[in-house]
Amino acid sequence: MIEYAVRRIASGVVVLFLLATALFFVMRAVPGDVVRLQLADAGSVSPERMAEMEQALGLDKPALEQYGTWLGGLVQGDLGESLWERRPVTEMLTERFPVTAELALLSMAVAVVMGVTIGVISARKRGTVTDDGLRVASILGLSVPNFFVALIMITFASIWFNWVAPLGYERPWDEPWTNLQQMAMPSIALGISVAAAIARLTRSSMLEVLGSDYIRAVRAKGASGRLVNYKHGLRNSLVPILTLIGLQLGALLGGTVILESIFGLPGVGSMVFRAVEQRDYPVIQAGAILYGTIFVMVNIAVDIAYGWIDPRTREA
Amino acid sequence: MTAEITDALVDESNEPEVVVDLTDAAQEPNAPAALGRWARMRRGLRQFRKEHPLGLVAGLVILLFIVTAILAPIVATHDPSATGRQPGQKLASPSFSNFFGTDQLGRDIFSRVVYGSRISLIVATFTVLVSTVLGTLVGAVSGYLGGKVDMILQRIVDAVMSIPVLILALFIVSLLGSSVTNVVLALSIIYIPRFARIARGEMLRIRNAEYVTASRALGAGSWRIIRGHGIPNLVAPIIILASLTYGQAMIAEAALSFLGVGAPITEPSWGQMLSSSREFMTVAWWAVVFPGVALSAGVLAFNLFGDALRDYLDPKLVQ
Repeated sequence: MIEYAVRRIASGVVVLFLLATALFFVMRAVPGDVVRLQLADAGSVSPERMAEMEQALGLDKPALEQYGTWLGGLVQGDLGESLWERRPVTEMLTERFPVTAELALLSMAVAVVMGVTIGVISARKRGTVTDDGLRVASILGLSVPNFFVALIMITFASIWFNWVAPLGYERPWDEPWTNLQQMAMPSIALGISVAAAIARLTRSSMLEVLGSDYIRAVRAKGASGRLVNYKHGLRNSLVPILTLIGLQLGALLGGTVILESIFGLPGVGSMVFRAVEQRDYPVIQAGAILYGTIFVMVNIAVDIAYGWIDPRTREA
Repeated sequence: MTAEITDALVDESNEPEVVVDLTDAAQEPNAPAALGRWARMRRGLRQFRKEHPLGLVAGLVILLFIVTAILAPIVATHDPSATGRQPGQKLASPSFSNFFGTDQLGRDIFSRVVYGSRISLIVATFTVLVSTVLGTLVGAVSGYLGGKVDMILQRIVDAVMSIPVLILALFIVSLLGSSVTNVVLALSIIYIPRFARIARGEMLRIRNAEYVTASRALGAGSWRIIRGHGIPNLVAPIIILASLTYGQAMIAEAALSFLGVGAPITEPSWGQMLSSSREFMTVAWWAVVFPGVALSAGVLAFNLFGDALRDYLDPKLVQ
């Protein structure tokens, strides 16, 4: 078990290293220089000023040397300095990460609660009008883009209820009520498509479990419908959903970029988006590594949890 | 080489004879087979229609979108970029002259939605084509060869798949510059690994099948086995994945345009329409509702079609 975990983590680290390296060189090979952008902002672009600026930012050194410096820092947990804000990227990340983490966790909670509930109802009422309706709703949830849901929510909350969420972002431990109002719409908008995916899988997984021999044995024993459905049925059908949650996390993290920009939340997503526009290399690299690390680590955790929940998968 | 060319020349000069030859020798035994294929296809279509009515409706909606995109100049009632200068032409609510109302510059939203289908379908079509072909090839080769090549390709696939789609697309497009081609390129890079993964898994299964061993014993090379046994077995899972990827590519394109890094701003696109509607959507709900509904309906049609196709092509999956 431990050996397996170590092996998975090692391969995850290799993947992330590949990613970071590729990103580093690709980004420096394409046009659209950060120096030019910054000087254009200031109004004068002369060759001398450009050289001066490059030197100040450390971009005049050979790419390999820059790479070495960056990699050396990375190993020590130093992600470099933002080329625009001139402060450590780690500092910016620690400021902004809680916002994104809250958004991602809340939407995952929305997704799991909604998805499992809908899936279970759908499976229990299999073949009825309720089931058909819920299945159509699930596929609809998969098809409607989260940013459209978000815009619809903002528009009609304002038109019908004359309600607008408080601007900006308050931390949940400072202003819990304001925070909830600010996070409600983005979390629901982001959670809906993941909820739809979970509902579909819950339904099929539950139907499969309910059709299996051991469930028939439990029924034959005279167990009540409730006991069969929930204790035996639901519990066992939740196992594959765990994998889905890990995989859907990627879509969810990607969605934070667009939803943070719609709702004006100061999270990692909006920071990465701005950094991309400004060619702020260290920030982009840090963002990619952060997102990659979360995704890889969560999926490793899911795999390990899988072996723990379902001992049959441990051997493989 | 020269012999072949002269042969071809001789054949050309004897054209009438060749035609006679075809009708006599070739066509007769071939005719029933060809007819059989058409009959089979018709029967397949009829079965699909009977068993998956929703899939058929979705297919028709897809067709409607394609026709609209091609005939955009005929379907549209206005010039999509013509602005209205008179007061009352800006942010006008839906009416008989402007079915979907007008935007902040007085442009007709219906016509813009109609033209917007072009970018959406073009990007999604090319993305799916490129990623299907390249992904299947990479996956099939990787799964067949195994060993070091397979391991390296799989690590690259893992690396690409560990970054959220939208973020990776944002990186690639903004580094290369905003254009339709670069959006297609970025999305193809992102979707190739999924196809590669499916193709590889399927290939690993096929590689050890007995008929492949038999084929190898008869002297077939790697390429022949991949082409003759591998690819035909991959068709069903790949078609299903392609139709589901189609809808996702449409969403991704709209998201990029929404963030301002997709299609050029001069072309009407659904994502960009949604993005610019943000400034006035609380006074003009039509500016956000119609482009969004068009996008969602397109994605929904592809998802429903993909679902029906899966049930149809892979009956094992239906409980």
